[in-house]
Amino acid sequence: MAEPGATQTLGSLASDLASTSLAMARRFAAGATLWCWSPEHPEHAQHVAVEFVHPVIVGKRALPAVAIATPGDGGADQLRPLVASGDVVLVGGGGAAAAGVSDVLRRAPAWGATTVWMGAGGRPPAGAADHVLWLADETELAVHDGRLVLLYHLLWELTHVCFEHPGLLGADGACEEATTCITCSDEGRLAEVLAPASDGATVRTAAGIEDIDTTMVGDVHRGDLLLVHAGTAITLVEGGP
Amino acid sequence: MKFVDEYRDPAAARVLVARIRELAGEDSFKFMEVCGGHTHTIYRHGIEHVLPQNVELVHGPGCPVCVIPMGRVDDAIAVAETPGVIFTSFGDMMRVPGGHGNLLEAKARGADVRFVYSPLDALRIAVEHPDREVVFFAVGFETTAPSTAVTLLRARDADVRNFSVFCNHVTIVPPLKAILESPDLRLDGFLGPGHVSTVVGNHPYRFVPAQYGKPLVTAGFEPLDILQAIVMLLTQIREGRCQVENQYTRIVRDEGNPRALKMLAEVFELRPHFEWRGLGFISQSALKLRPELAPWDAELRFAVPGVRVADPKACQCGEVLKGVIKPWECKVFGTACTPETPIGTCMVSSEGACAAYYNFGRLHREAAVTLGRASA
Ligand code: SF4
Repeated sequence: MAEPGATQTLGSLASDLASTSLAMARRFAAGATLWCWSPEHPEHAQHVAVEFVHPVIVGKRALPAVAIATPGDGGADQLRPLVASGDVVLVGGGGAAAAGVSDVLRRAPAWGATTVWMGAGGRPPAGAADHVLWLADETELAVHDGRLVLLYHLLWELTHVCFEHPGLLGADGACEEATTCITCSDEGRLAEVLAPASDGATVRTAAGIEDIDTTMVGDVHRGDLLLVHAGTAITLVEGGP
Repeated sequence: MKFVDEYRDPAAARVLVARIRELAGEDSFKFMEVCGGHTHTIYRHGIEHVLPQNVELVHGPGCPVCVIPMGRVDDAIAVAETPGVIFTSFGDMMRVPGGHGNLLEAKARGADVRFVYSPLDALRIAVEHPDREVVFFAVGFETTAPSTAVTLLRARDADVRNFSVFCNHVTIVPPLKAILESPDLRLDGFLGPGHVSTVVGNHPYRFVPAQYGKPLVTAGFEPLDILQAIVMLLTQIREGRCQVENQYTRIVRDEGNPRALKMLAEVFELRPHFEWRGLGFISQSALKLRPELAPWDAELRFAVPGVRVADPKACQCGEVLKGVIKPWECKVFGTACTPETPIGTCMVSSEGACAAYYNFGRLHREAAVTLGRASA
């Protein structure tokens, strides 16, 4: 069992845990699959997936979850064909694989996925993932000594707690999008290029596959990230969204 | 992109709010957010009410649907009701009231009015219906104008003659100037628009500090973006600087998108003047098609009444658009004017200040009044 200090650390993550578990419960309720990837510590990805696929107690739902085992730079290529719009991508750690992890996290919004990033040590910058569960005061040791395990056990249990409040499960960010006006909101949706064409490209966005015009951004290549407004790419996203 | 919870991290927000409080001290500051998307975020997340009371946000003219004058809506309806026309528009323009109702009502009367997501969809309809005239109702700032430009160039290159554009594109700089010269308003700085700036860059705003001595910070659309941009504005003021700065560096480049700007110059030219709802006529503030594209200019191809229509007497959209009054201070707000039955345009688009406040802001305000953080 974790030491008292660890409990205090987790206590400071209460609101992060609550909002992450609610977001995940909403996604599961709408039919999501959880994709887990932890290139440096694949055992954690497998552990998270195992927890979610078995019911927390008899009579509870088993939640669909899959761990993928891919080295640090191959995550995007393996996850892209697997992840459907509405799914959840949970990645662990970073370390030497940080570039590959960041690459997955910046592409996932174009796949329509909610992202969760778990780890310990220096906290990633704001916006690196939809939800960051980070043992920020800890060293990397937390990844090995059970504190990270405790964190995702809590996430799993709290996700099930959210299922006990079905009234909470209906609202989701996806509904919010419908209330905004593309013209006035100065919309810019993230898109990932699937196939360039002569005067445009077939791209993937959170809303699905669509053909867009790319005249304004010049040549595009498979995997490029773009911002799209009214069916037209307005800029290439270089450093990440 | 737009709804990343991590950009809504309450702990990070508290740190930024504390910094705002510290920088503001006892002095009062009034900043205008130019963009309707910012207004939406501010009301949706109750940002006004986490700020200290001496740091006020006022809402600018950045909702292009809101600034379309009634006469132009009547012109659109006249074109839509021309026999044989398929009239296409973004969804939010459908409910904008003109002097003779709105486009949805014209549709109910029998006009073929269709909602499209992109002007390219309108061009596609034209190609599919060579026997019909297809008109696209173009509205929006420089974020949207390039997609109209691309579409027009495609129509020209493919010689699609049954397609035309009723152009109402507006530009962001002239209304900023008009606001800066308005005697009604004392502002200490601006939150510059986000995605408009991906196209125009940050350079066009240099006149704001240079000529008017006000700082401007281009900002993203998440709550933390807006709070951080306010910190940047206050920091400039406290350090005695006055500059254009970019908070939204993850997307906006100083030079904008040169390719898009070139395309805009190829397709459009500035109108000598254009009427803005609530702001009156502003010179060189809107775009029209260049003479070379006359065959695709709906204003030249159709009989457009071009009659100026005064706003309803009860409507105070002008004052709201200039940030002189808050939405709830309009006499008809929430009574005669609601999103279901808008009197003014600010109540139509969800980014319009009145609709955003009606949908979200009033709840935050009621909570803030209850907590004693705002006056009733
Ligand atoms: S409440 Fe209606 S009439 Fe009044 S300012 Fe707002 S939109 Fe205009």
